[in-house]
Amino acid sequence: MKKNPNKRRKIISYIVITFSAMIMLTPFITATFNSLKTYKQYTAIPVEYIPNPFRWQNYVEVWRMTDFAQYGWNSFIVTVLSVLGALLSCSMVAYAFARLDFPFKNSLFIMVLGTLMIPPVVMIIPQFIIFKHMGALDTLVPLWILEWLAQPFGVFLMRQAFLSIPKEYEEAAKLDGCSPLQTYWRIFMPMCKPQLATLTIFTFMTKWNEIMAPAIYLSSQEKFTLPIGVLSMSGAWFGKEQYLVAAALMSLIPILIVFFFTEKFFVKGASSSGLK
Amino acid sequence: MNQKKVMKLWMAFMTVFALFIAGCSDESSGKGGDDSSATEITLGFYSSGSADEKMQELIDKFEEQHPDIKIKTQNAPYQQFFQKLDTQIAGGTAPDVWLSDGVFVQKYAERGAAKDLTEWINQDLNKDDYYGLDFNKGPNGSYWAVPQGIQIASLFYNKDMFDKAGVDYPDESWTWEDLKEAGAKLTIDTSGKTANESGFKSNSVNQYGLTFFSITEGWMTVLKSYGGGILDDSLKQSIIDTPENKKAMEYIVDGMDRGIFTDPSDLQAFQSAMSPFPSETAAMRIGIYARVLAANETGVNYDVTVLPKGPDGERFSPVIANSWIINNDASDKKAKAAWEWVKYWVSEDDVQKEWAELGEAVPVKKSVAQSDMFLNSGDKPANKQAFLDSFEFAGTLDVNAVWSEWVKKTGDNFNRAFLKEASIEEALERADKEVQKVLDEFYENQ
Repeated sequence: MKKNPNKRRKIISYIVITFSAMIMLTPFITATFNSLKTYKQYTAIPVEYIPNPFRWQNYVEVWRMTDFAQYGWNSFIVTVLSVLGALLSCSMVAYAFARLDFPFKNSLFIMVLGTLMIPPVVMIIPQFIIFKHMGALDTLVPLWILEWLAQPFGVFLMRQAFLSIPKEYEEAAKLDGCSPLQTYWRIFMPMCKPQLATLTIFTFMTKWNEIMAPAIYLSSQEKFTLPIGVLSMSGAWFGKEQYLVAAALMSLIPILIVFFFTEKFFVKGASSSGLK
Repeated sequence: MNQKKVMKLWMAFMTVFALFIAGCSDESSGKGGDDSSATEITLGFYSSGSADEKMQELIDKFEEQHPDIKIKTQNAPYQQFFQKLDTQIAGGTAPDVWLSDGVFVQKYAERGAAKDLTEWINQDLNKDDYYGLDFNKGPNGSYWAVPQGIQIASLFYNKDMFDKAGVDYPDESWTWEDLKEAGAKLTIDTSGKTANESGFKSNSVNQYGLTFFSITEGWMTVLKSYGGGILDDSLKQSIIDTPENKKAMEYIVDGMDRGIFTDPSDLQAFQSAMSPFPSETAAMRIGIYARVLAANETGVNYDVTVLPKGPDGERFSPVIANSWIINNDASDKKAKAAWEWVKYWVSEDDVQKEWAELGEAVPVKKSVAQSDMFLNSGDKPANKQAFLDSFEFAGTLDVNAVWSEWVKKTGDNFNRAFLKEASIEEALERADKEVQKVLDEFYENQ
């Protein structure tokens, strides 16, 4: 009897996928269970894997203990403005590096890449002093404004994307009377959706999870973003870690939403290239 | 022109603009309405969960009592608070008064960020009324801070485990050797054998005799009661490579080798290095006062007593006096207002009592610490007196301006000895050299 080789391959690949998905999901499931325990169960040895009973009120407790909605809103503002800034400024700078001719183009680009190698800690104090003089301490401004000034990683990513677009598109646009700005906006940007989606997710995740900058620039509790708001819940002496886990899981939700939303661009990007 | 497109663009622009405004519009509000004669001071503290609410209550009361002073708070989670503070000091925007972990007081003092409070303390506070003022003294005798709450260590023991093993509870007659002997009977492996029975497997322990962690609740306490330590009295010379320390290290390594004490890798198996005692996996711990919180939360049946003596009868209890520091750059008016806050904190009985109710620290004011309210509150441990008795032989963790740096060097080397990656002699010798280098680099450049 002949077995269908395709079916067999499919079964094997499903087994592999299921197995690796389980490995990836284990920490997530453990965290979910941990968030539903009492402190006693949380620390218990031997480990009690399944909470008994399930303490859903831990989540309610987190809402009661912190100003979760306010922190979430602050994080939202910072993240959205950062993503918009990154998309716009990085792609504009990248377009210039990829498609326009100007003196010292290559040396300037190497300098941009060079800034990637400066460790962020070195820049904290100078930036802090600049923002102090701008009167921007204890506001959300320092957290997003830098993204409007083009970050080197985004510039590099978008430049590579623009470089891969055939010259013919540009020439055709020119013939139809497009200015460089119009070519950038109407021709190049729509063709680089996958890279823009990548940049969106990267910026979103970095900003959403950022701890150092908000902790340094924000002083009033009502301006805290989620990560430091969540960390503030734990005492200096005694963690009540189960609440922290619950809060951390809740703050994951927006990232998941953004990921599901932008995922289709990743898939599309691979299949829709080339001239028709 | 396509009107729809213009509309679309306009809408998009307005949305971004609205967010922009939201992102910028957080300029400090709530300043208005104050009369100009009021002094506004900023007060920084590390967030401590529910304690934040209590702090705010006490601030409100203070403002009621002192209508001419307004307090603006700045807080952040513990670790980030100190990162931020370092940046603020560099940028000249540090709070006028802040809560410092006791181990960082000298760092701020020697870097010129803390105001010398000697004169004000002599003038306004009766030193005999308070615990811990001397723990913030610099080597030249100046006072740099006033304690906010005190952490001092005792020996915590799980009564149920002692009862079950038929071992007498520890008392003030215990030496570290007694502790190890009792610990052996309380250490049980997966097959149910104790550490003093043959066939006991020290690599598969189910219940430890003593949980041993890092500096305060680990090596420093043993080293000092063996007559050793890390720095000499000047706090600028390492005394790590000494026979006393070697003896203490031999004691610790033997305890870990036999499975009685947790070694650094054992602690990895726990949710946190703090959890063996509250999860009833260790019969004893060296614990600062705040450790009662977790033990009470999980409902351990425990008590405390003073820490054991060294071989020569010497006893040592590590102390960390978390303290208020006044900014050296604060204007006279603000510094004086900040001093009012510090005085209010330590001298008002109500404030001391309310803070003590949180159960995080030993009160600074002796009359409150020695009152029934603290000693016989009904919460465990019953023998809270042990914490107060420990002040007689209490000392700091050789705190100086580069404390964090040398603790890391020492800890790394000691851990190598604990995990048998290096001999005790090698570990002490290397720690000594590395710590001396840290000290020289800082003090020779001053």
